[in-house]
Amino acid sequence: MPVEQKPSSLVQGTLHMLILKTLALEPMHGYGIGVRLEQISKGVFRVNAGSLFPALRRLERDGLIAGEWQVTENNRRGKYYALTAQGRATLKRETKDWEQQTAAIARILAASLGEL
Amino acid sequence: MPWLTRVVGGIVGLVRRTRQEQDLDAELQEFLEMAIEDKVRAGLSREAAARAAHMELGSAAAVKDRVRDVGWEHVLETTWQDVRYAARTLRRTSGFTAVAVVALALAIGANTAIFSLINALMLRALPVSHPEQLVELLSVYPGEPRTQFFWWRHYEHFRDRNQSFSDVLAVARSRFNVSGEGLEPGAVEGEYVAGNFFTALGVRPFLGRVIDAADDQVGSPSAASAVVSWSYWTNRLHSDPAIVGKVLVLNDVPTTVVGVAPRAFAGLQVGLSPNLWVPAAMEPLVQRPSRRVDGTMTVGVMGRLKPGVTIEQALVEMRVLDRYRLEDMVKARQSAASVRGITIELEPAAAGFAALRDRFATSLLVLMAVVALLLLIACTNVASMLLARGAARQHEMALRVSLGAGRVRLVRQVLTEALLLAAMGSIVGIALASVGAETLARIMLSGRESLRLQQHVELLVQPDLHVLLFTTTVAVLTAVLFGAAPAWHAATSAPASSLRATAAGGETRSRRLFGKSLVVAQVALSVVLLSAASLFVHHLSNLRNQDFGFQRASLLLVTLDPANSGYPREQLFAPYQNLLSRLGEIPGVRSVTLSGVTPISGAGASRFISVEGFEEAADARRYVPLNWVGPQYFETFGTPLLAGRDFAFTDQGGPPVAIVNQAMARYYFGDKDPLGGRFQLVGPSNSGITGAPPDQVYTVIGVVGDAKYLDLREVPPRTIYLSAFQEPRMFANQFALRTTGRSAAVAGEVRRIVREELKTVPVAGVMTMDDLVDASVVPERVIATLSTFFGGLGATLAALGLYGLLAYTVTRRTTEIGIRIALGATRSDISRMVLRGALGLVCAGLVIGVPLALLSRRAASRVVADLPADSVWPLVLATAAMLAIALVAASLPARRAARVEPVDALRQ
Repeated sequence: MPVEQKPSSLVQGTLHMLILKTLALEPMHGYGIGVRLEQISKGVFRVNAGSLFPALRRLERDGLIAGEWQVTENNRRGKYYALTAQGRATLKRETKDWEQQTAAIARILAASLGEL
Repeated sequence: MPWLTRVVGGIVGLVRRTRQEQDLDAELQEFLEMAIEDKVRAGLSREAAARAAHMELGSAAAVKDRVRDVGWEHVLETTWQDVRYAARTLRRTSGFTAVAVVALALAIGANTAIFSLINALMLRALPVSHPEQLVELLSVYPGEPRTQFFWWRHYEHFRDRNQSFSDVLAVARSRFNVSGEGLEPGAVEGEYVAGNFFTALGVRPFLGRVIDAADDQVGSPSAASAVVSWSYWTNRLHSDPAIVGKVLVLNDVPTTVVGVAPRAFAGLQVGLSPNLWVPAAMEPLVQRPSRRVDGTMTVGVMGRLKPGVTIEQALVEMRVLDRYRLEDMVKARQSAASVRGITIELEPAAAGFAALRDRFATSLLVLMAVVALLLLIACTNVASMLLARGAARQHEMALRVSLGAGRVRLVRQVLTEALLLAAMGSIVGIALASVGAETLARIMLSGRESLRLQQHVELLVQPDLHVLLFTTTVAVLTAVLFGAAPAWHAATSAPASSLRATAAGGETRSRRLFGKSLVVAQVALSVVLLSAASLFVHHLSNLRNQDFGFQRASLLLVTLDPANSGYPREQLFAPYQNLLSRLGEIPGVRSVTLSGVTPISGAGASRFISVEGFEEAADARRYVPLNWVGPQYFETFGTPLLAGRDFAFTDQGGPPVAIVNQAMARYYFGDKDPLGGRFQLVGPSNSGITGAPPDQVYTVIGVVGDAKYLDLREVPPRTIYLSAFQEPRMFANQFALRTTGRSAAVAGEVRRIVREELKTVPVAGVMTMDDLVDASVVPERVIATLSTFFGGLGATLAALGLYGLLAYTVTRRTTEIGIRIALGATRSDISRMVLRGALGLVCAGLVIGVPLALLSRRAASRVVADLPADSVWPLVLATAAMLAIALVAASLPARRAARVEPVDALRQ
């Protein structure tokens, strides 16, 4: 499959997918999502609030996640986001797409003349 | 359906905005707290942790802004902000706003008005099924306006033989005297239609049924059926729901109403709305002798193209079928010459018959060009005002940029202002246009006998979707045009330099040049408009003041209608002679006469003639216009009698005599003396007037000067005058009185005397020759008046633009002027300096405008016939007017500059 995406949209799309994946593990509040992403990626991805909150708003707007105020483990109030059924389906589809794309890219990058 | 989710989300967002904002605030607060706690747990002091967390979060306001940006409703919000801001700005500078709105309103209004006329006349499709398939058949004779009239038998030939059309329909106008139960008797406009008329058009009845093929059989019992129009049914028949089956009496023929046409359908000619339709087969019942039966009933013909057949293909076929018509006409007219050159043409008829379109299209297109120019001037004018104001607002723009406003947002802001101005202008303009278009339509159609119909022509010009779309497009385009320069400027304003610069010096050279070029453009466009206006005025005055061959002033025209008076035409001679002598006794009347044809009234009669001793090939024969006149005709009209004598009452009963005009004498008699020359009228009459027996020989007794006959645009034709008192019947019902003073003053006296002398003969019309001339030049007058008005408006706007620029320049250069005066420049030096600057701009405008004016004049003369395009005067006049107006505009700032006090100026 040909990949024709601009870097910015690729990054944005990726962020959405990563957030969905994080929330697929368990419902989480904004700060937690950022921390979780950083932990899992071993510090490669640091998402600042200026990117995180617009992304959350957009996902919520599109009906992929739903937010709900709950009490946190430290007895604070936090808005916990959870995947909706639609979000789950989207994540599944995007994951598959992503795997196909990365596999294709990997093959191209690994290619040597002899294989052609 | 993600878009639906988004739309709903947006609406929810708008409705619950406060709630979402609070949520977001709380969320960000929590985020911050959690981050601080995390950092404290990692060992930082509370204070350091808070600082680090704040740094990481950045500006909470910026984050919130980005979150808000997610939904589409955000665009609405910011647009609303822009609109409110623009409205505030415009209110603050109410003077500028008022001028701009008035300029735009007049320009947009004028465009809308003219366009709504064009739309009503040329663009609006008929309310029938697939109007785009309709084509009209037209007969063209070189050098003459094309006509839509065909004989019934030619129509039948086309209808039955063609392969191109799925249907061919015919329609003929007529007038009926209608009476019936509960109906005030009176004349109504009606149409004879072919049996397939309604079905071919796909027009379904509102009530009852439409006329069908069975009705349109001569002798059919249902031939006397009528479909009434919706408006006739509502206005005259009281919307009677049981109208179908009732009987109306049309010219003594009891006619059954079989249906009511739908509301939208008002026939195929825009401007004429028939009250009822009857089958063409009803004509033999009404008219005797019938012209339907002998096939010479004149009808307009439309065809519906079969799917896949182009108009070109249809034309090829019709040219072949048309041979039948041409041969038939040669037989009927006994002359091949009068038929040679006649061709058939097809014209798309989605908007109905072309007659009115043909008559007014030129005028309307010229006016459209004029108002488009005006709109351009108004745009340029508003742009230059906005730009000047933009200079004053540079500081504000710079401040907003440095406070973080994006350039896109600034451009949007400026464009919003432009759109708001254009919107206000359009709203006022549409109001102006609706009044203007109605008035204009009334004036344009008031000319003499549009279409040679006695019928009242009424054009519905109420705005429809087309007009609204047009105006909206024009408004947006205008806004973009005049908003572009200021917007571009806003986008490129560099905050630092602007903030630093003082108000006076912070203007770039390129920007000053741009402001100047806008003024130059206004001057150039105004010169084009002014020169066009004075060209049209020149044309009009040429038309009105040309030599008609008769004196138009102080001439009263009175038409009598003896048709239903009980006087047979054979017995009118003595009463008319008495009437002439009574009318001649009215104080202030110098002479009085009568004639069958009133010159330049658009109606006339003509015959072929055969002159003794003049050999003429049959092909070279031309119709010669005729008039039947009484004694003193030439004296009354002021046409010089060049040789021989005038008609006299004593000629009655004597040998037939005639007077010819100079053109006629020169052509037929050459160097010979025309007096005593003899000729005959031959061939059929084309006017229905069949007077003297054929082969009557006329002797020429006089020669008169050439005079206009049918129309004031024509070259006077060869003309024959016969004595009205020598014909077997009296045809001359047009009385003419030459008066010493204002001719309308004796009209009352004339009516009184006619009542006394001929009790039963009504006066059908009274008008002066001046009125007739005016009525003949209505389109030219409308163009001249409107283009002068718009030209003046354009020049005023240009002057305003010039004034604005100069006033601004003087303010900006106050210090410099002060220094000059301190260094010894006199006050007149200073005002000369300002005036020189103005003159430079105007001259630049003229240099561009004059060639443009020449070009546009050439274009105009291609569209308008006989335009005096070679005359230099219009251009000279336009240039002088522009210079004068500009001088007035420049004198105020020049005076202000001269009054600058050096001390004050230097202290600034």
